[in-house]
Amino acid sequence: MGNIIKKLVIGLVVGGALFLLSRWQEFPFVFQVVFFGHAMFGAAVFMLLDAPSVRTMGAVKSTIAIVVFYVVLCTVFVAGASMWPQFDPEDEKGKIAKLLAPKRAATEQGKAEELIARTKALDEQVKALEVRLRTLGADQSVVKQMPVGDAPPVVAKAPTGDFMKIGEEQWQLHECYNCHKLKGEGGKKRGPELDNIGSYLTAAEIKQKIFNPKSYMAEGFEKEWEKGKMPDKFKDVMEDSDAMALATWLSTFKNTSVNTPKPIKKL
Amino acid sequence: MQQDQGGWIQRLLRSSSEHGGALLGLVIAAGLLGLPSLVFGADVAPAAPTEYRDIPYVGSRNVIWVIAQLHLLLAGFVLGVPMFAWVCEVVAWRGGEKRYDKLAKEFTKLLTSAYSTTALFGGILLFLLIAFYPKLMNYLTDIFFPSFIVYCILFLVETATLYLYWYGWDAMQYGGKKTFHIFLGFMLNFFAFFIMIIPNSWATFQSSPVVIAEGTDLARAWAATWNPTWWPVNIHRIIANVVLGGYICGAYAGIRYLSAKTPEERDHYDWMGYVGNFIGVFGLLALPFAGYWLMREIYQYNQQMGITLMGGFLSWLFILQAMLIGVLFLGSNYYFWLGITYRIPGSALKYRRPMLAMLVVLLLCLAVWMTPHSLVASLEEAAKMGGSHHPLLGVLGVMSAKMTVSNLMILVTFMSFIMYWRAGKQDTAGWAKIAKAIMGAILVLAGIAVIILGVWGYFVPAIIRINYFSTSQVLIVIGVMLTITPLTALLLKSAKTTTEMVWGKMPPRAGYSLVLNAVMVILLMTLMGYARSSSRVHWHVYGVVRDTSQYAFSPALGYASGIMALCTFFFCMIVAFIFWVATMGDKAKVATTSPSKGELPHGMPAMAGASSALDKPEERKF
Repeated sequence: MGNIIKKLVIGLVVGGALFLLSRWQEFPFVFQVVFFGHAMFGAAVFMLLDAPSVRTMGAVKSTIAIVVFYVVLCTVFVAGASMWPQFDPEDEKGKIAKLLAPKRAATEQGKAEELIARTKALDEQVKALEVRLRTLGADQSVVKQMPVGDAPPVVAKAPTGDFMKIGEEQWQLHECYNCHKLKGEGGKKRGPELDNIGSYLTAAEIKQKIFNPKSYMAEGFEKEWEKGKMPDKFKDVMEDSDAMALATWLSTFKNTSVNTPKPIKKL
Repeated sequence: MQQDQGGWIQRLLRSSSEHGGALLGLVIAAGLLGLPSLVFGADVAPAAPTEYRDIPYVGSRNVIWVIAQLHLLLAGFVLGVPMFAWVCEVVAWRGGEKRYDKLAKEFTKLLTSAYSTTALFGGILLFLLIAFYPKLMNYLTDIFFPSFIVYCILFLVETATLYLYWYGWDAMQYGGKKTFHIFLGFMLNFFAFFIMIIPNSWATFQSSPVVIAEGTDLARAWAATWNPTWWPVNIHRIIANVVLGGYICGAYAGIRYLSAKTPEERDHYDWMGYVGNFIGVFGLLALPFAGYWLMREIYQYNQQMGITLMGGFLSWLFILQAMLIGVLFLGSNYYFWLGITYRIPGSALKYRRPMLAMLVVLLLCLAVWMTPHSLVASLEEAAKMGGSHHPLLGVLGVMSAKMTVSNLMILVTFMSFIMYWRAGKQDTAGWAKIAKAIMGAILVLAGIAVIILGVWGYFVPAIIRINYFSTSQVLIVIGVMLTITPLTALLLKSAKTTTEMVWGKMPPRAGYSLVLNAVMVILLMTLMGYARSSSRVHWHVYGVVRDTSQYAFSPALGYASGIMALCTFFFCMIVAFIFWVATMGDKAKVATTSPSKGELPHGMPAMAGASSALDKPEERKF
């Protein structure tokens, strides 16, 4: 028993020292606790090595003990996994909805749904106008005679700003930042930095590169080009208009202070 | 003519007034018969084929998840146990230790019921997949149809071999028949291997598809089968199956040890626990290498998938994986240390210091392995640290550090095993001192080399680290094992046993540690199943067939861990049931022939496949 107490004391001392050290090093509090817990876990393993033996149990009792032991293990496991930072499935759901929207819109059902949505929106506009006119003292019948076609368009034609927004959205959606650095964010080991790509390629050429990664090769990325590191899936997974939006958005990047490698036409 | 026609119409009308009911019936009948032609003629698009079906409240994905995971775990068990049993049988055959043969038989007995349970779950899974994901299944069938036929044939051959292997056990015990039995065991594993790799091709195709538009059915199926992650997964799974088989055997022995009533039972199950743990550790040492190769292939195939796994939304999953593997390593080492302390009297004091040192190294390695790349911190805490990466620990959250510590943990576990092997023995060979010095130097140098390569890895491009440094670390550790194992075996051949190993003296916590190891392995397998599936994100077949169901998103880690715990529980229950069913007959046999039980060597229970006839050397008919 004395041996166990000795190990417990050592464990507490080491754990305490780690706690204070991590505090001094300005670790987040949760990590200070984790350091202490880790030391105590180690001490527990060592204490258990020569702890006095408990009495053996009968079949039923030992089965219950095993089940309890299992429940404890799984509780720790589930609790641990739940305490880790969780990604929000809603993020992926939103991304999937965006990816599927063009394909869905192209189907008969999608068109019907879009029509219903537009009708609903028009209806809302009419109701809003009715309310507005009523507050102005106008007769309700006048409103009813008002042709629906005069209502302001619900879905405005995408102006350039929206087109750029779609392009930026596509950048995020297809996680281009995993391989390309842009505006100081993202990786640059697998693919070239793109802050100055607009100085070299037009929107149409960038789109060609997206749909056919072998069409251009960035200087200094010969190996990557040969190995086909850039996925060639985008022609299958992206709508033409989305790829164009992305390419147009990228073509606006003309930051000459960034060393974007020169693209060489290959195909 | 017109008159004729008019007359015909008038006659019809007159007739209708007389036999109106009958005519109406005829018209309706004709109309009904003509309905299909209306359908064919109509300009209506046919209803789209069903893509998905769902099950209320539970959700189709959850049902498929649990059933698929259970099938996979059972399959791992069914494929791992024959390997385990065959190795034990060969050890008994070559070494003459009958208890290994009994152990092999005891576990082969489980196979018949375990095999049918696995097939049952496979059937359920197939029905559910066809019901819930008809479009996807249609697509996969189009591609893999030839391999379905091969799979069915393999199943028939495997079943026949299993029947021959199990039912012929007693009849093929001696001489040439035993050799044939060993051959049957080999074939059982040979067919089982192919039974494993064919479904692996279907699953890996979903992650790293190779689709060719032209060619015969066979050519398309072959191209899809030989996809980039097929062999890494095959090797990873075969090793994992050995680990699962070993630890399940250990857990079974642990539970039986805890409830053992007689000293003989305690002896037997203590020994069985040792064998199970040994085989589990044997596989565990190789598993990280296979895992590393798999990840490397994933990165080579598609960086985005690799990033999703290791650096994207699944990165925290690998911290959980590190935790489970760390506990598994600790549990396995702890069992070895308990063995030294309790089975070899007098060794505890001698080995206490090395044990403490190894425990500290393991804990440090585990801490590094569990270090996340970016720490979870509040804004205030992050500001104090100067970002989400702590200046001190930031460097430990990357692959170079993790590869280094995983190799060190393998080295430490190997040292534990060597220590256990050598405990209670005194070297007598004249060259023992030199050999021990060489072994010590190899271990120390290997440890230093692994650390140096790990640190150096920070200063070279990733491609050099991955292709050369990490591979070198792995080769160094394998080299250590391949050098020290035969050297120790040679030394111990001439060694004098100073303390006999005493079985059945382990404390009850040894049994719990065996259960802990098994639970950790099962949880680990369920976790990696989730990782493999989630790495495809919202694709059924990555980049080819998009998942458009309502369950296309990946569930959060906390939710997933609940399902994993559930799968682990169900699997343990099923395995417990299989063990119970398989041993029911033996218990009855023991009850009816209890007076003769004492005649068995070491009081070996009949459950262990013991038979007094088999253990009498004079009755062996070589």
